Amino acid sequence: MKRIAVIAVLVAAFVPLAAAVAQLPTFGEASNPTNTYLVPRYLQKGPEEAGAANVVTDVILNYRGYDTNGEVVVIFTALIAALATLLVRPKQMAATPPGDDAPRSPIVSFVVKAIAPFIAVFTVYLVLHGHLSPGGGFQGGTIFGALIILLSLTLGHKYGLSLLPERSRPWLQAAAVLAFIAVGLLGWALCGAYLAYPSYSQLEWVREGWLIALEIGIGVGGAAIFATVFWTMEAEP
Amino acid sequence: MDGTTLLPAVVVVPLLGAVLTPIVGRTRARMAGLWALAVACLTAAVGTALVALVALRGPFSYEMGAWAPPWGIELRMDEFGASIAVIGFLEVLTMLFAIKYVEKLLLPVRIPYFYTLMLLNAAGMIGFAVSGDLFNMFVFLEILSLSGYALVAIAGERIAEMAAFKYLALGAVSSLFVLLSVGLLYAVTGTLNIADVAKRLTGTGYALPVAVALAGLVLGFSVKAALFPLHAWLPDAHTIAPSPVSAVLSGLVVKVGVLGTLRVLQIYYAARPQQLPVLNGMLAWLGAISIVMGAFFAIFQEDIKMMLAYSTISNIGYIFMGIGLGSTYGLIGATVHIFNHALIKVTLFLAAGAIIYRTGCRNLTDLRGVGRVMPWTSAVMTVGALSIVGIPPTAGFLCKWYIALGAVQADKLMFAVAVLFGALFILIYYIRMVNAFYFREPTRPEVATATEAPLSMVGPLVVLAAGCLLMGVLGRIPLSFVEPAVLRMLGQ
Repeated sequence: MKRIAVIAVLVAAFVPLAAAVAQLPTFGEASNPTNTYLVPRYLQKGPEEAGAANVVTDVILNYRGYDTNGEVVVIFTALIAALATLLVRPKQMAATPPGDDAPRSPIVSFVVKAIAPFIAVFTVYLVLHGHLSPGGGFQGGTIFGALIILLSLTLGHKYGLSLLPERSRPWLQAAAVLAFIAVGLLGWALCGAYLAYPSYSQLEWVREGWLIALEIGIGVGGAAIFATVFWTMEAEP
Repeated sequence: MDGTTLLPAVVVVPLLGAVLTPIVGRTRARMAGLWALAVACLTAAVGTALVALVALRGPFSYEMGAWAPPWGIELRMDEFGASIAVIGFLEVLTMLFAIKYVEKLLLPVRIPYFYTLMLLNAAGMIGFAVSGDLFNMFVFLEILSLSGYALVAIAGERIAEMAAFKYLALGAVSSLFVLLSVGLLYAVTGTLNIADVAKRLTGTGYALPVAVALAGLVLGFSVKAALFPLHAWLPDAHTIAPSPVSAVLSGLVVKVGVLGTLRVLQIYYAARPQQLPVLNGMLAWLGAISIVMGAFFAIFQEDIKMMLAYSTISNIGYIFMGIGLGSTYGLIGATVHIFNHALIKVTLFLAAGAIIYRTGCRNLTDLRGVGRVMPWTSAVMTVGALSIVGIPPTAGFLCKWYIALGAVQADKLMFAVAVLFGALFILIYYIRMVNAFYFREPTRPEVATATEAPLSMVGPLVVLAAGCLLMGVLGRIPLSFVEPAVLRMLGQ
């Protein structure tokens, strides 16, 4: 009975949504409002006035940078939510979690050690290259976070923790939000609005520098947050 | 310097304050509380200045990143956005109250994170209130929802995790409805700016997707606002959360759903008024049912916080009914009730928190006689109760009166009856409470020996109670303040 009710509710929600989506302009048509209204300016002027050759980066970090500012706060909020609901005592994360001292396969440890530097270099490439091609801080940060998790699993919890020293950890976790607020306030003080970039064509290097600062902030913050959420969930209560 | 350039500061100040809170509170948890209080004070000051600017000069916009909308994101400060001053003011008092409260309730390691989440939550609400962009509203909706879920679970009491999870599941579904509807509107207009969406919707086709977007947005926002029958998550979450959190969730966070609905209606009144009568009819009926059901369930609650939680559902009903009536008086009353109910409910939840802090009891039968040992707190609770019933000259009277007038104006007398009925039910359960507090002998030793709450709690409570009385006497000011916004929305 309960199952039937659930299915009925889902169908009742699905039918109007599907009907509405079916009546939208055909996906990918050149004459769609989504392609004719705002996008032409982004495509034609983006690289020149917003600072990055990759138009997606222009929209994410410049035209609609305030949205991304909010998104990095969402990620930060998720971290604080995990810490606030899972931690029960001080220094909990520093303690060795159960099973951490069990013997590991030497093959796995060797392979991970061998590929780790390459993964690290690749994340740097992704973060910096988001400027020109797909990629950027979010992607690079995620992969770097995964690398730290991989190292904590194979080379030991202590080794993983040592990559993000305890004194600087809260700063690293807040890096993305702090980078946005720093660039935002610079724009507010120098260019007339929060998150505004200098508009003179001679100052292109400043625009690029601020974009790269944001990408690095997002990458560092993302990696620190992913690793910390993992350690928090791993820690014994 | 033009005052409008301050608009982003009202969001950035609490955000920056929030990310620095774990660092400030690393060695001493008490520092995190004082820091959060200072940040809240600064936010409230900026918010008040901005509202004063609206009162002097009318609504204004701010172009984020100096990009003209619709290419960039617009912040929009209008009379509905005046809620930022209310949010700031109530957050200050709640933070001050919370300092002693959480030291007793929470694990020490979690205290800095508590303040971080409170500030993030405030920043989310403020960012939502001043946003002029549909997707940007969604981003801030997520910040405030996510921090809200964690704040419910933070004390880890009894069913806290379960209540938080229920809140999370329903909240996530409602966010998806909002996001999908924003997507639908973007697909047919190609823009996300609220004013621009309204302009570009006028005269285009796509009747069905636009109607479904309206339904999805209002559905999503009414889950956040806990309108009956979408209220199932609220009673547990608001009861089990630490009292300062209950105050913020019940007084402010549910109002974000109402504010979101108002923003959506601003678009549709301008662009597609023909699609609104059906929706308005449903909102008015659901509001009326909410009023009666919320008040009815509240009567049978033993737990005072549970009672207050159901009373929130009832009051959200008043607001949605006022919106659904679609008449000037109804909308003005509903808008002002957003502010007044916030003030009253924060007063009541914090007073309940002070009582729980001193006695450890939360059931009415256990709390008999508490009025004798905690005179100040109980007096504040009584003022709050009188206000929420809507007895003149308290804050609750004028807005409920306006909503009833709105029903008469819309020629729907049935709904005016619902207003009266709701008030009667509410009167019954608050009489029960006042009777237990003042006129019964204590049954529990911890109540008989309790003392008045510390000054850092009684202080904010007295200010709040004074606010409840003052808003009753000066009730005309907010009413005439929001009137232009309502008239503009209705196109009159």
